Amino acid sequence: MHPRTLLAGLVLAAVLTGCRGSDPGLVRIVSSLPRTGSARQQSDTVVRGIRMAIEEAGGRAGPFRIDYLDLDDSTAATGLWTSEAEAANARAALQDPDVVAYIGTLNSGSARVSMPILNYGDLLMVSPATTAVGLTKPDLGEFGEPEVYRPTGRRNFIRVIPADDLQGPLAADWAAGRGFERVFVLDDGDAYGKGIADLFAERCRELGLTVLGQDSIDPKAQEFRSLMATVAAAGPDLVYFGGTTQSKGGQVAKDLAATGIESPLLVPDGCLEPAFIEAAGREAVEGRCYVTFGGIAPERLTGRGRAFVERYEKLHGEPPEAFAVYGYEAARVAIHAITAAGVKDRRAITDAALAIRDFDGPLGRWSVDANGDTTLAALTVLAVRDGRFAFEEQLEAGGVDPGKAKTVVENGGEG
Amino acid sequence: MSLALPLAETVMSLEFIAQQVVIGLASGSLIALVALGYTMVYGVVGLVNFAHGDLFMLGGCLAVTLVEAAGPPQAGAPAAVGILLLVVLCGLFCGGLNLAVDRLVYRPLRESPKLAPLVSSIGVSFIFMNLGLFWIGPSDRSFPSLVPADNLLPFESLRFSSRDLLVVAVVVPLMAGLAVLVRSTRSGKAMRAVAQDPTAAALVGVNVEKVIGATFFLGGFLAGAASVVYAATITTIGFQMGFQTGLYAFTAAVLGGIGSIPGAVVGGLVIGLVRALGGACLGERWAGGIVFAVLIAVLVFRPEGLFGRRQREKV
Amino acid sequence: MAVPHDASASAGRRRRPVRWELPALVAAAVAPLLVPPLGGGLGGQVTILFIYAILALALNVMVGFTGILHLGIAALFGIGGYTAAILTVPTLPFGWPFAAAATAAVAVAAGAGLLLAAPTLRLRGDYLAIVTLGFGEVVKVALRNLEEITGGMQGLGPVPPPGAALEIGGIDLGREFVVDPRWFYWLALAALAAVVSGLRWLEGSRLGRAMAAVREDELAAAAVGVPVGRVKLAAFAISSAIAGLAGCLYVTSLSTTADPNTYDFQRSVLMLCAVILGGLGSIPGTLAGVAILVGFDTVLAPRADAWLQQVGLNTTGSSILSFSGWRLAVFGMVLIVMMRFRPEGLLPTRRGAGKLPPAAGNSEN
Repeated sequence: MHPRTLLAGLVLAAVLTGCRGSDPGLVRIVSSLPRTGSARQQSDTVVRGIRMAIEEAGGRAGPFRIDYLDLDDSTAATGLWTSEAEAANARAALQDPDVVAYIGTLNSGSARVSMPILNYGDLLMVSPATTAVGLTKPDLGEFGEPEVYRPTGRRNFIRVIPADDLQGPLAADWAAGRGFERVFVLDDGDAYGKGIADLFAERCRELGLTVLGQDSIDPKAQEFRSLMATVAAAGPDLVYFGGTTQSKGGQVAKDLAATGIESPLLVPDGCLEPAFIEAAGREAVEGRCYVTFGGIAPERLTGRGRAFVERYEKLHGEPPEAFAVYGYEAARVAIHAITAAGVKDRRAITDAALAIRDFDGPLGRWSVDANGDTTLAALTVLAVRDGRFAFEEQLEAGGVDPGKAKTVVENGGEG
Repeated sequence: MSLALPLAETVMSLEFIAQQVVIGLASGSLIALVALGYTMVYGVVGLVNFAHGDLFMLGGCLAVTLVEAAGPPQAGAPAAVGILLLVVLCGLFCGGLNLAVDRLVYRPLRESPKLAPLVSSIGVSFIFMNLGLFWIGPSDRSFPSLVPADNLLPFESLRFSSRDLLVVAVVVPLMAGLAVLVRSTRSGKAMRAVAQDPTAAALVGVNVEKVIGATFFLGGFLAGAASVVYAATITTIGFQMGFQTGLYAFTAAVLGGIGSIPGAVVGGLVIGLVRALGGACLGERWAGGIVFAVLIAVLVFRPEGLFGRRQREKV
Repeated sequence: MAVPHDASASAGRRRRPVRWELPALVAAAVAPLLVPPLGGGLGGQVTILFIYAILALALNVMVGFTGILHLGIAALFGIGGYTAAILTVPTLPFGWPFAAAATAAVAVAAGAGLLLAAPTLRLRGDYLAIVTLGFGEVVKVALRNLEEITGGMQGLGPVPPPGAALEIGGIDLGREFVVDPRWFYWLALAALAAVVSGLRWLEGSRLGRAMAAVREDELAAAAVGVPVGRVKLAAFAISSAIAGLAGCLYVTSLSTTADPNTYDFQRSVLMLCAVILGGLGSIPGTLAGVAILVGFDTVLAPRADAWLQQVGLNTTGSSILSFSGWRLAVFGMVLIVMMRFRPEGLLPTRRGAGKLPPAAGNSEN
């Protein structure tokens, strides 16, 4: 094949993919989530939530019709999100003149890739699930965070779920409240996993618990028997793993149990999916594994939240998983912002989203704070029982409790 | 890597080191079984079979499929028989697959430059991986816990579980059997002859192709057996596990002297120990890097390994 | 009159005008202006193709020109990328401009290549290949664990675009690079053109001929006075430098280094696949190989998969029904089929150089 023929073929393929003209009456919302691999279950619930929100709005936002595109930031070969895919999604969204809102991502690591790209284009980014603190909060993350994600100096990122500066320390509070004294902290080395593990460990030290050791695993390793022997030798009464199912959370749980260590395992919301219980094997986590979630469990939602859960069950034949309502809320934020702005201008829509105050929804009433975070502040602890996640405890950190939303408004304050 | 001080003291305790040694020897024996496949094939055809680790992974896939098809696990004697059956079945499967690949892919390249079959084996490795991806999916699969992870020893801080016992129970007879085969039988003698000098062996009437095929089969059988033991002890199978295990096993074969059977066994045990103790001392994150550093060091400074002979080079 | 094959071929190359390079370069440069999708998302993907083409050409210098099987080119790719990232990300105190960082990336990668090369000069072909593989793994682990500098699993980011904070005529150059993919397209194309012409020159140069001699028969080359060791070192250095350049461009185009597992054996093998498919030692062949394989992997397969999902043929997202699910098998088949039936590749060089070295290489271990 002559190189010239090849080039011609490439040009032809390009032409065939077509150039999309811009329709002034149409706005496009895209989501970028991992749609292959074990994370698919989690992202399915988020996408369903998004679609439900768009349906309820009648497929319209103000004068515009809404088109929704479900993009994948993972690859079939690895079953994990990749930077290449995420960067490609972000750039594609930027270049499409109809796109006005970007709902993503599921993983903090991939958000770090697309945030600065979207920031250059002032494209609104609403996240239903990324909880790493450095994305929005100054002085808590790595050096330079979060300014490095705002190269233009303007903000464009909002999240509807509380960050790990809530989840990490509150988990430590819970552990102390339960009487644990010696903890061993493990993490997967990634932005989310190591971030929350560090926050947890720091708060443990503040509360006077002994942190026996802290180590990162290799998420590509097959087994952790040797590591668990080290952990066992230290004699902890609680083991924390900052990570996700995809970064070997299940295997950690499995090897922990197999080594005969009796202490329970505490994991953050990255493991909050049935795939985690499957990966670990039921016996390894039954009655000895606790999961924290920086939000409200679906069965505890009230009012509009309860209505959402019931509608979801009717539509899909199964109860929603933890992140479904956050996908729903993220889409509602985008629709509200488009309606409030009234024009198909990215900066105007982003500003409208950043200006959200007293937004009423299934999670309660909340506002967007100066960093782009939500003012909600509930932590739920779930335990693994009978092969499912069962509600264990809900803690507040001075935020808006959905059951008490009305009272707070009457008092005139936000969380 | 930040170990709090109390842990640093624990590391020095004898029981802790003994525990890591037990773990290292257990995983090392499995690595040795897989390393044997590498070393035997290299001995007779001079090929580094990149696909061997992924063959091991496919054995694990078959094991998971068979066990799930057989239904809920029962403890005790039926479990032992079941595992034995699995070892044989997966061994036959992997052996047959290895033989088939040799006939289809490597045999036509016997006269080609040496690197052609090497590159082809990389291709086979990728095809196996893709097969594994389709077979069990992109996420890890759990193998049911047929053997309990209990402690057969009366000590608190030193564990030797039924799973470790299983490793010994399978690996030792297999290696003994292999030793007997290679040393005392005619086929074994033929294998040694071909490994030493294929032309001379052919001249004295050895059917070289048959020996090569038998070697591939045998190496594959051992990998299949190892995969069942691995599945029963680690209880997790993933489509990418062949790469890391394969690399560890290959390092072991090279360390022991590629082409040398006792070398592969010793190399496997050493690599298992290096991984366990190295990971314990320097931190879990460095464990893999240490093994590969060993690989490079051996290849650069003592390519013939511990037991190998210097390769004679034909000009 | 009997003219030595060597002299006539190289003399022919000197006399022969550049055939396909210039028209292809012009066509590629002009394309984004004529074809709108190339000014959009497709342009970004073609840019990635250019970058991988540079990396594949780097590998070609080792495997094709000099006949050394190199299984760790992705590690040099990563070293170049990480060097550029370390020197430019705002989370570290350096903050160099792009051009300086790119130069440093090339230099550091070349140095790393020499470090890898030095102990391997006396090794046989297959052992050398394994050492490069081991080197790739060690680099990957080091990148992952030296968190202070490399950011560990999270990688380093965000990597500022070239010309960040540079204003020319009121246009924020950095922002332009991110928002308009054509800038990067042209930058990558320029780099690719530079590499192609540099390698063309290398092919015809004295060093290039020495490399060919080492590839054909190392012992004979040594016998006629070719400094085999130094030629191999040069090959490693040049190849690593080019790989470092590709890494720098990659990281900047992605605006992050991605996690260290991106620079793994699979990526090295993908490059090897492209080089073997196209034809060892053949520059147009390598470009064709990259266009086919990486084009399939990065451009066609995701679009085909998205189409399959939309059309409803693959609603569950299963790997078997997707194109990208088959990629490993496709690469594997390419290697096997090419080795068996057409080892010289699709677009072999004139001299049929596309064969792996006949002997294992060296006479010593």
